[in-house]
Amino acid sequence: MSGNDRVSLVQVRGLTKAFGTNQVLKGVDLDVSKGEVVSIIGASGSGKTTLLRCVNVLETYDGGSIQVDGVEVGYAEANGRRRPRRERELARIRADIGMVFQLFNLFPHLTARDNVMLGLCKVRGMGRRQAREVAEQWLARVGLGDKFDSLPIELSGGQQQRVGIARAVAMSPKVLLLDEITSALDPELVGEVLTVVRELAHEGMTMILVTHEMSFARDVSSRVVFMDAGRVAVEGPPREVFSAQAQTNERLRNFLARIELKQV
Amino acid sequence: MIDVMLKGLPFLWQGLLVTLEVSAIVVTIALLAGVVLGVGLSYGSPWIAWPIRLMSDFVRGLPLLVLIFSIFYMLPLTGWQISNFWSAIAALAVFETAHVSEVARGAIQSIHPGQNEAGKAIGLTFSQRMLYVVFPQALRRFLPPWINTVVDTVKGSSLLALVGIVDLMLSIQQVIGRTFKPMPMYVLGALMYFAINYTLSQISRRLEARFAYVRE
Repeated sequence: MSGNDRVSLVQVRGLTKAFGTNQVLKGVDLDVSKGEVVSIIGASGSGKTTLLRCVNVLETYDGGSIQVDGVEVGYAEANGRRRPRRERELARIRADIGMVFQLFNLFPHLTARDNVMLGLCKVRGMGRRQAREVAEQWLARVGLGDKFDSLPIELSGGQQQRVGIARAVAMSPKVLLLDEITSALDPELVGEVLTVVRELAHEGMTMILVTHEMSFARDVSSRVVFMDAGRVAVEGPPREVFSAQAQTNERLRNFLARIELKQV
Repeated sequence: MIDVMLKGLPFLWQGLLVTLEVSAIVVTIALLAGVVLGVGLSYGSPWIAWPIRLMSDFVRGLPLLVLIFSIFYMLPLTGWQISNFWSAIAALAVFETAHVSEVARGAIQSIHPGQNEAGKAIGLTFSQRMLYVVFPQALRRFLPPWINTVVDTVKGSSLLALVGIVDLMLSIQQVIGRTFKPMPMYVLGALMYFAINYTLSQISRRLEARFAYVRE
């Protein structure tokens, strides 16, 4: 464990979550500092996506705590009692936490530009002219300067996902959550999306990503977290976590071996 | 036959207006209430969704005529001073609201849950998500069956003649009462109802094409 004394931007403590009788998270601790890129890896069912979705309360968590920039995201403290946050409080908190989805989830009835503008206008209260400028800047940044007026259906998967990224980062979130954002893409489209993420990382965007792209996780992350059966099993800089031979954790060794086989 | 129709036509004018008025009022009430209930069915907690479910299933399981008589004769018993006209409208509105709520529920639930999540992720509140994300997409699914409920309303409003509302139907019967020539008048009435409803389904077809921005 690192002796990191800096205040974490995202601080997860003893997080638990069950779906019915299935205990998915069994006490997760995680710290992410400003500017860090943390990759969460692990077999399916290990709880990594659930953990990510708890951070912006797309899933409510049962026990433990998640603080983003010092604010407990899922619950409010009132008279010493914990109550789930109301819709409006959640909306305000989520506005500062960006998320990019595996299946893009673009708004199909809106153009690329309007997809990005919606949050700027309705949540940030920006005027249309300014919002339009910001949206077009971000779309240009992700390489879609000629696609402002395209509907999602007119774009390739990689282009759609880049709109998804632009939509999230245009809100200037404190932290960006990326949920297996290349899993639904054809292999030849993965690169263009990862390039965008890499640039964001270089610019100091704080990111938590769940990914199956091990080489990408190795390149871009400041830290890699291996989850197993609802807990953080191994955590450290990528070169340590990925040097499988050096790993004493058998589950991680097996996981990496399986992945390696698939990627060869 | 044609001359009987032509002579009777002016006497139907007032009734036709009442039919259109009743239909417009009922359609408006049912649209507003039905969409709200449809949202409750789709997103409400069990405490909200269950009573709506129960009400909707119950009402949709009754013949419209039974519902009209029940409400028409029951409402005054509650001590509420309400005119015949509005009791009759209330009965029809309850019936149509139940149907519209189902149409709205179906349309809303056809939208991928990821859409709501994407809206949440950028910080939209519930009502904003409905307004800017869900409704615009659900509209396309909503319109065709909703126009069917509008057509049903126009047709169903003819039953209000049975509780004494002088609509197109009752006007026809009044003319027949004087001329003793039922056939031409009923044919004329049928043509008028058909004209209204055919126009509606044509509008429906137009709208459907216009909102088909999502290919499947």
